[in-house]
Amino acid sequence: MTLAEVANLAVNGLVEGAVIALPALALTLVMSIARFPNAATGDLMTLGAYVAVGVQALLVGSAFGAPMIGMAVATLAAVIACAIVSVAAYELIFRRLGRAAMVASLLASIGLAFLIRSLITLLVGHEQHTFALPLVRAWNFGGLRILPSDLVIGAVAALVLAAVFAWLRFGRSGRLLRAVADNPDLARLSGIRAQRLMWLLWALAGALSAIGGVLLGVKSVVMPELGWELLLPAFAAMILGGIGSPAGAVIGALLMGVGQELSVPLVGPTYKIAVAFGVLFVVLLLRPAGLLGRPELAR
Amino acid sequence: MDAYLVAVGSVVLIYALLAIGLNLQYGETGLINFGHVAFFALGAYTSALLALRGWPLPVTFAVAAAVAAVAAVPLGLAALRLRADYLAIVTLGFSETVRLVLQEERAITHGVQGVPGIPKLFGALGGRSTDLAILLALLAAVALAAWATHLLKASPFGRLLRAIRDNEAAITALGKDPARYKIQVFMFGAALAGIAGAFYAHFITFISPEQFVPLVTFYVWMSIILGGVGSLRGSLAGTLMLVAFLEGSRFIRDLVPGVAEVQMASVRLAIVGLALILFVLYRPQGLFGRRAN
Amino acid sequence: MLDVCNVCVEFDRFRAVDGVTLSVAPTAIVGIAGTNGAGKTTLFGAIAGQLPLASGEIVFEGHDISRLPPNRRARRGLARTFQVPREFGSLTVLDNLRAAAPNDAHESLRAAWFGRPAAARADAELERRADDVLALTGLSKMRDQPASSLSGGQKKLLELARALMGAPKCILLDEPFAGINPVLIAQLLDVLRAVHARGIALVVIEHNLQALKAFARRLVVMDQGRVIADGEPEAVLDDRRVQEAYMGGVV
Repeated sequence: MTLAEVANLAVNGLVEGAVIALPALALTLVMSIARFPNAATGDLMTLGAYVAVGVQALLVGSAFGAPMIGMAVATLAAVIACAIVSVAAYELIFRRLGRAAMVASLLASIGLAFLIRSLITLLVGHEQHTFALPLVRAWNFGGLRILPSDLVIGAVAALVLAAVFAWLRFGRSGRLLRAVADNPDLARLSGIRAQRLMWLLWALAGALSAIGGVLLGVKSVVMPELGWELLLPAFAAMILGGIGSPAGAVIGALLMGVGQELSVPLVGPTYKIAVAFGVLFVVLLLRPAGLLGRPELAR
Repeated sequence: MDAYLVAVGSVVLIYALLAIGLNLQYGETGLINFGHVAFFALGAYTSALLALRGWPLPVTFAVAAAVAAVAAVPLGLAALRLRADYLAIVTLGFSETVRLVLQEERAITHGVQGVPGIPKLFGALGGRSTDLAILLALLAAVALAAWATHLLKASPFGRLLRAIRDNEAAITALGKDPARYKIQVFMFGAALAGIAGAFYAHFITFISPEQFVPLVTFYVWMSIILGGVGSLRGSLAGTLMLVAFLEGSRFIRDLVPGVAEVQMASVRLAIVGLALILFVLYRPQGLFGRRAN
Repeated sequence: MLDVCNVCVEFDRFRAVDGVTLSVAPTAIVGIAGTNGAGKTTLFGAIAGQLPLASGEIVFEGHDISRLPPNRRARRGLARTFQVPREFGSLTVLDNLRAAAPNDAHESLRAAWFGRPAAARADAELERRADDVLALTGLSKMRDQPASSLSGGQKKLLELARALMGAPKCILLDEPFAGINPVLIAQLLDVLRAVHARGIALVVIEHNLQALKAFARRLVVMDQGRVIADGEPEAVLDDRRVQEAYMGGVV
């Protein structure tokens, strides 16, 4: 394998990793506060992608038809839709399960995933959709091929992640969220503030999933299994990076993305999810706390 | 109508085998197995492929059970070191990986096209007798599985499983290693699923990877929640309810014209999703059986 | 019999137990006291095997058990109860005890299917032993009740009863008196004395110094991960360092 081929795979992996980072971050935030893996994250991504692709289709030919503007509006619509669904799910389901065992929330989130996916297919069908974006040829740097769209995807993901991290670090609610994640006893705050914080958390998780879904849809195609197929890599990223560590989730996602791509020459493109599973398995056996995680949360 | 009932009965019994195994893993021992369909698939493919090579069916069934049981070992080992939710994710990943392998390794498994022409169990009898014989064989299998499970639950081993489920940390402090027991339970449940898979393959005579999606695992989860986790009778009752639902949905499609099969599949998925959410919210004892929670 | 040699336990970089050395004789009753966060439960975790040692050794009956997992240490006769009782809620009290007793030969799939008569005989024997232990701990009346229906104090007694089923040589008791009705404290003291009378060494973490004074032959006081006093209860409680550690609280 030539260096250029490796580099191509690595670059592709970084872009994929950046996209995986968004749901991985959503997973890790919900995990550290609500203390269960939200299996509906994948299908929330799918929802976001469908909403965006639908809105964009509506806008084509209108004043907002230009690709960039159209995509921005479509993404915004997706973010709003998924944030609402996410908060609603919290209010109607997960908040009521608060004191029940983790398996209850986990099963409910699987049920929610199925529900979202089935409603999408009932309303829109099983066909694949693509975003109406101009086809631009890849830039070629002596063998290293980079798609401009990939650059945009990577940039958007990076920007979103940076914004979230800045908020977590410097924003008032963000720091409060981190504090609650680090110290569960703090969660017993006075009612209204705790409620607002939880809504913020779930809306954020929904928004991250939505953007992730849109980016993924731009990179490949929008289909019903879109998000579900990313669920396992996102989990693997979260665990690889370490529970309770948002930065870890992002690093884990990038490593997963690159790792998956680099494994393609060895095992073929369809086994990527198997690679995710393999990484997950090995990390959990050797170092359950992950790279940056805290061991107390691991067992 | 007769033939239809016999066929449905067979489906009920196949799912019953799956439910008994899963209920033992989760209801009795507290292991969250989201990958049960993988063992079902391994059993089906093993028996089908060996039978197509001319191996006699009793042997293929035995090998199917063995393959499934052995495949459970890495998961059993994982179960030892992982907390419950991670085990759930890992088992889910395992079942999807198995499905991927079945899909990709065309040379062995015929890939996406599936394996047609699987010898039907008791095919030599012909027509109605075949179907009846399958039903009776399944009845015997389920009875045997239920008996074995009952003995297990009533034994010191069963008592220990429930203790592990209730408070695993205490078990180690008392000098026992939960590991051995968890692995054995995983393997036994997997073997039952493998046998169910073998029956399935030789009943339906055509298998393909897309029949072994996670949805099937969650069908079984629904059965044990419906029937009552931890209860053997619950496994059987829940399975009846599950199949009633699955078959019922088919009738609805017959009644309402213009509903395509693929839409029906979505409706079923929606109902399973909704059911999981509702049961978890409003019928937790379905999730926890007789356990004080 | 039990030697804790210069043991350190660390969490991240925080030393919860800092160079503790302690010896427990076969017939000892040792109380371990100290303020919250002094490292008492962490020390138990290290001795019993739930927590790894950063340095030091644990020697039990001449064998270095520092690297053994908790279940192997328990099998050698070093039992431990927990601060928060870990009863098997859905099992009866009797079954809690039978599940706790070593029963390898009959706790297997093979025994479940092909060795039922032998398993039944073993269970009958376990029942006899369990009844004896139940009588000792005063739980006989609750024998057939699900463990989840026991009161807090009864659950603590169950913890002790379960530990006894393994025929231990030394029991580490983590705050057995916590949350117990003062009326029942005297009863629990009698139980502990009866257990000790069977030749079992007891190491007891307790905040309730009055109870410890009445019962322990030796008192060890910990503060911030270190042992600051070790000797006869009266003398230790008079020690200025101990009084300072408790910051003027009633000692």
